[in-house]
Amino acid sequence: MTKALKLRFNRKQLCIPYAAFLILFVICPLLVIIYYAFTNSTGQFTFDNLVQFFTNDNTLGTLLYSVAIAVVTTLICLVIAYPVAYILARSKFKKKYVLLMLFVLPMWINFTLRITALKEILTAIESNIAAYPFLNTVIGMTYDFMPFMILPLYTSLSKLDKSLTEAAEDLGANGFTVFMRVILPLSVPGIISGVTMVLLPSMTNYVVLDMLYNSTYIMGSLIGSYFATYDWNNGSMISLILLIIIFIITLATNRFNDSGEAEGRTIL
Amino acid sequence: MKKIRIAAIAAACLMAAPTIALAGCAAKDDTVVLRVSNWEEYIDLGGWGDDEAIDIENTYTGEDYIFGENSVVDDFTEWFNSQNFGFDVRVEYSTFGTNEDLYNQLNLGDVYDLVCPSDYMIMKLLEEGEIQPFSEDFMDEDNEQNYYINNVSSYIDGAEGSIFDDYGWSGIAACYMWGTTGFAFNPELVDDNSDVAACHILTNSDYFKSVTVKDNVRDAYFAALSILFEDELNAINADSGMSEAEKAEARSALLNNTDAETIAAAEDILKDIKENVYSFETDSGKTDMVTGKVIANYQWSGDAVYILDQADEDDTELWYSIPEECTNLWFDGWVMLKDGIDGSEQKQIAAEAFVNFLSRPDIAVRNMYYIGYTSSIAADEVFNYFDWCYGVVTDEESEDFYEFENIYVYDVSYFFGEDSYIYIDMDTVAAEGATLTHEYDDDEYVAGYPVYSGGTISIGRQAFGQYPTGDVIARSVVMEDFGDDLSEINQMWINVRCLDVADIPVTTVVIVAAVIVVAAVAIVLYRFRYTIFYSGKKRGK
Repeated sequence: MTKALKLRFNRKQLCIPYAAFLILFVICPLLVIIYYAFTNSTGQFTFDNLVQFFTNDNTLGTLLYSVAIAVVTTLICLVIAYPVAYILARSKFKKKYVLLMLFVLPMWINFTLRITALKEILTAIESNIAAYPFLNTVIGMTYDFMPFMILPLYTSLSKLDKSLTEAAEDLGANGFTVFMRVILPLSVPGIISGVTMVLLPSMTNYVVLDMLYNSTYIMGSLIGSYFATYDWNNGSMISLILLIIIFIITLATNRFNDSGEAEGRTIL
Repeated sequence: MKKIRIAAIAAACLMAAPTIALAGCAAKDDTVVLRVSNWEEYIDLGGWGDDEAIDIENTYTGEDYIFGENSVVDDFTEWFNSQNFGFDVRVEYSTFGTNEDLYNQLNLGDVYDLVCPSDYMIMKLLEEGEIQPFSEDFMDEDNEQNYYINNVSSYIDGAEGSIFDDYGWSGIAACYMWGTTGFAFNPELVDDNSDVAACHILTNSDYFKSVTVKDNVRDAYFAALSILFEDELNAINADSGMSEAEKAEARSALLNNTDAETIAAAEDILKDIKENVYSFETDSGKTDMVTGKVIANYQWSGDAVYILDQADEDDTELWYSIPEECTNLWFDGWVMLKDGIDGSEQKQIAAEAFVNFLSRPDIAVRNMYYIGYTSSIAADEVFNYFDWCYGVVTDEESEDFYEFENIYVYDVSYFFGEDSYIYIDMDTVAAEGATLTHEYDDDEYVAGYPVYSGGTISIGRQAFGQYPTGDVIARSVVMEDFGDDLSEINQMWINVRCLDVADIPVTTVVIVAAVIVVAAVAIVLYRFRYTIFYSGKKRGK
């Protein structure tokens, strides 16, 4: 009896829960989205939704606005996070994990709570925060996604072999050259993963906009508003377009990532 | 109206309700499950503090006060199961956030027996044949337990010429709460109270980024049309040649206008509003008023009353103003759904009993106290509650009355029936163009004291928010379902909210383009620096 009951797991079988999850919550919804994206309200096949997206000034404007917010947020995050990650990675301070934790600590607090706090701080500084919607949105997004930029940068910079920089210095490179030709190329994978982790969510995270009184839609809010008004077809099409944009960005950064690593290797 | 509700208590009650109901009824075989869906925070969840008992005689429980110990849903279950209906009931109570959410849920296949949408959504569901009309028994005034039909205000339902009768909703829907739209505002922060007495404050640049509107296409569209047709509406209001019925029809025609030209004009106004207002808010309006971030907030009257109450607790005095030109008169009503009831007689009996229980005057008072909205019920208990909240004379023998110098006779006869007045302190109603006279001597308690007469009131405090005066009601309009024009109006709203490419300033475009070009050139130069600067030699191999 006991022998018969003994469970035997093939390694492949361990994937079953994840595969089930994937099919149920990723593949199936995706198929539903594709179905709705290419049908109209009566269920007939159509390209109208696609055409409407690319011919309507407002949807294109929204795409532009989302990209602008995402790009500016990502750049600011990168500019602030890189030195921080570098200093942390280089630091000889024994308790540097404590320092790192201080940067990651905000992530432990619910983000709506953090944005609410930020709202009060910005009100104190600007007196009327509704007057600077774009600026505030970028500040909010930067505040929210900064840890996602610091962590990958820190990981890739702390893995960096110190002997490489020493070798470069021995060969007569000055600090700037060492940074530009050794450290920066070797940290490209970190930069790429940081950029992906900040750029993509900041295109759609409309809760930040809502909470900071920005009344202009970004992609996320546009999709939401279509779904709220029973227009699932246009909503699905925009979701699909966003998905394709994200896919293209990921593909491009992966290529970049590879070539970055290749470049790093050629330096070796 | 002191309503300190901690979310945790509410959440605990919500979670406890089904458990208790389950525990109570699990044993019986013939238990009917009644699936009810209502707005969030739109019913008394009980758990009142000991000092919150309302000092009004309750003929329905035999107590001399009205008090919410348990949630109304639990009380209903207990009451129903103690009656001789021949079966027991268990309520599955759930909530929705907006009418559109409810509609989406129903379309997705969620089944409810009894739901509480707003006027236009009732029209839409009725049009689509989803609604199961109430039975003849429910509308029978001779049955004492038919609390709804016996107690609903004849202004709203149950009488010839009532609003529900006019729209053909009588017997289809049972009005639960009703109200107007207007501005909750801080009188100390506005330049002139009359600024708040019209929707065009939303486009008034003197109030740049200091007024909020609801993030809701219908309310925004109504406000835009109020601005667009302000002159026409004011002309109608002032026209002495038209009868009241003609005026109402003319107003309704203007504000239910959905032709392409009007939608386009509304879009332009809404774009101005978007640039000028603090935000289109979903939930932040209440807090932002109390913390003083915004001066005025375009609201539903029930929420405005709630905001005023909250502000009072923080020692901030806020007021409520109803636009002079027109206001949106709205109703939330209970309707039974065909899909849910599914021909079951027992379910229909249970659903109708639920509506009747909510309409029982003491329960109506409890709900009003808890949520701040105004019930459709016009029984003595509700009137006494209104008086208890705002009236200065609570006891005829009392001397309290004499402490007030300016007494205002507040007339709510249109709602509670003839000669329904309460006497309130003048400071709680700002009467524009009002004159104080000593002529009023209908009631001995008022004789000799200055009372208000004449003039139009459009501004006041909670009393006015809950039951606006008759002249405000006279210039209100019910906003109907957009029907076939819904998708155009939704698209218009999306256009308003999206960044229009044409609106981007040229300088921004030039700067961004310049930055991109410079960055691209820099990258190319850096990438091919060996080819360009060192004639093809790479790293001096």
